Amino acid sequence: MREYLVILRAELFGLFISPATYVASFYFLSLLAIGFRFFIESFATTDWILPPLASLVTGLVFGAPALIPFLTMRSFAEERRLGTLETLMSTPVGSLSLVFGKWSASYLFFLLICGCAFCFPLLLLLLFPNQGETLGFTNFEQWIGGWLFLMAFGASFSAVGIFASSVTRNQMVAGMLSFTLLTLYLSIMAFSLGDTPPTESINHFSDFWNASLGSFANGLHKLQHFAVGLIDVGTIFHQLILGFFFLSLATLQVERLNH
Amino acid sequence: MTSEAKPLPIVEVLNLKKKYGAIQALKGISFSIGKGEIVGFLGPNGAGKSTTLRILSGLIPADSGEAKVCGVDLAEEEGEVRRHIGYLAENNPLPEDLRVVEYLNFRAKLKGLAGSRKRERIKIVLDICDLERKDSERKIGNLSKGFRQRVGIADSLLAEPRLVILDEPTIGLDPRQSAITRKMMERLRGEVSFLLSSHILSEVEACCDRMIILSHGQIVAEGTLLDLQKEFINSTVFEIVSLGNRIELQRVIRKIDDTCELIQDDPVEVTGKRRFTFATEKGSEVAESILKRLLEVDQFRVSEFQITRPDLETIFLRATKKNWEDQDFLGRNKKRPKITSEKNK
Repeated sequence: MREYLVILRAELFGLFISPATYVASFYFLSLLAIGFRFFIESFATTDWILPPLASLVTGLVFGAPALIPFLTMRSFAEERRLGTLETLMSTPVGSLSLVFGKWSASYLFFLLICGCAFCFPLLLLLLFPNQGETLGFTNFEQWIGGWLFLMAFGASFSAVGIFASSVTRNQMVAGMLSFTLLTLYLSIMAFSLGDTPPTESINHFSDFWNASLGSFANGLHKLQHFAVGLIDVGTIFHQLILGFFFLSLATLQVERLNH
Repeated sequence: MTSEAKPLPIVEVLNLKKKYGAIQALKGISFSIGKGEIVGFLGPNGAGKSTTLRILSGLIPADSGEAKVCGVDLAEEEGEVRRHIGYLAENNPLPEDLRVVEYLNFRAKLKGLAGSRKRERIKIVLDICDLERKDSERKIGNLSKGFRQRVGIADSLLAEPRLVILDEPTIGLDPRQSAITRKMMERLRGEVSFLLSSHILSEVEACCDRMIILSHGQIVAEGTLLDLQKEFINSTVFEIVSLGNRIELQRVIRKIDDTCELIQDDPVEVTGKRRFTFATEKGSEVAESILKRLLEVDQFRVSEFQITRPDLETIFLRATKKNWEDQDFLGRNKKRPKITSEKNK
């Protein structure tokens, strides 16, 4: 546990002193702020059925493939390029502590950026309380639901990024791989149709697939539940499984590098 | 009758084997290192030195065999073994964007040091490695090779290890920086055991108590410099600086010792004299009687006489030569062509 905390602290420190992180975060939040502003302005004329706060969560989730690589690509690829992974492994640090420490740091940084993004509606509510209330920013459950949704997806997305970083020495390749995997996953979720059927009505393989892995493939659809404060535990659970799967792959990769 | 208990060796290696694909990197090596010993690990490139060091530092597992550090089996308690070891990797990789003190702080925490002990150890290792306060505030990326190497060594000494493994610690360093590294080892001699891999033989000769020479994954020689000199160089070598004809000199010497051979003849600048190097199989006593005889002959005017010991380089080349000739590039024994007798033809 001590080693994990040391790695986590060092990685967070590394993220805070890296100019690339600030540049990426600034552009990401700026674009998100512009998008959010236009969405709020034209909200009355759109056919958006979810609460306006959900638009920010959607923006964060769909923007994650651009942001996560900046937070994770350095973690293992840079260590491998410099050869410092070997010196790290010569201390009493296990590969599990190493992988989880690095993942936790990028995950926490992602949540920090999400937290900054959540300041947009908060500012709106503070500056224009009436409009904020009309847009539903005073509904606490919407904030909680949105935040949990981001936490669940952020965990799996940063795990994908860590895995991508562990398979190459080149930061750019790691970043591109992470972007590709995340975009692919989001595309699967965005284009998958239908919803998880009730267990008793499983007749076809596709129903079975949807029932067992529905939250993986239809995870984004669950945003409508989270947006109104209904927590879908299955979605959180499935994202955690996905995250754990990629972190396990990254751990195996680090172990393999030493053998 | 009382018998004094023998202290446990810091490193015990028994029949260690390692294979990378088709290449047998280690073919069952065995050795041990006592407390406070400085052992030089020598061998040509690809001999298996770094593989052995990486196994001992718990970075890679061996295929078979046994390796114990401070009595702890590497295969069973790899993490525990790492607590007793300080390791300086070949090329000494360091993070470029951290300051020296930040890096040492991070490494100290990873090695389980905290609070005042951590601060005290950092101060001590900075002092041992001759790194001043202003150096410790500099970014590692801006340091010269020598300073970086000292930071790496400081890191390896942080957690008061009982064994320090240094893989090529002085490669690319200027003589002053190498001397600092040697001084550091001298300072810790007796307290910490060092296993040092190097290609700079003069340095190993200067600071190591014992040498292990590896070739093609096998130990081809082991012992103190004196042991190795006895084992590999049978003849006594002596140098004479004198005037006179080489043939005449040889004739006089051959009268005393017919095994004596001239192996080198170099001019000595300005004086007009020459430096003759002879080798005899009859030991140093004969060499001394040769000197006595030469002093009696006026024409030679001997101004210098010295019995020389073969250096580590000569021993190294002798020790590895045979093994090198017997192995192919994969480390397998070369197939010798069948010798067919004349009769069969």
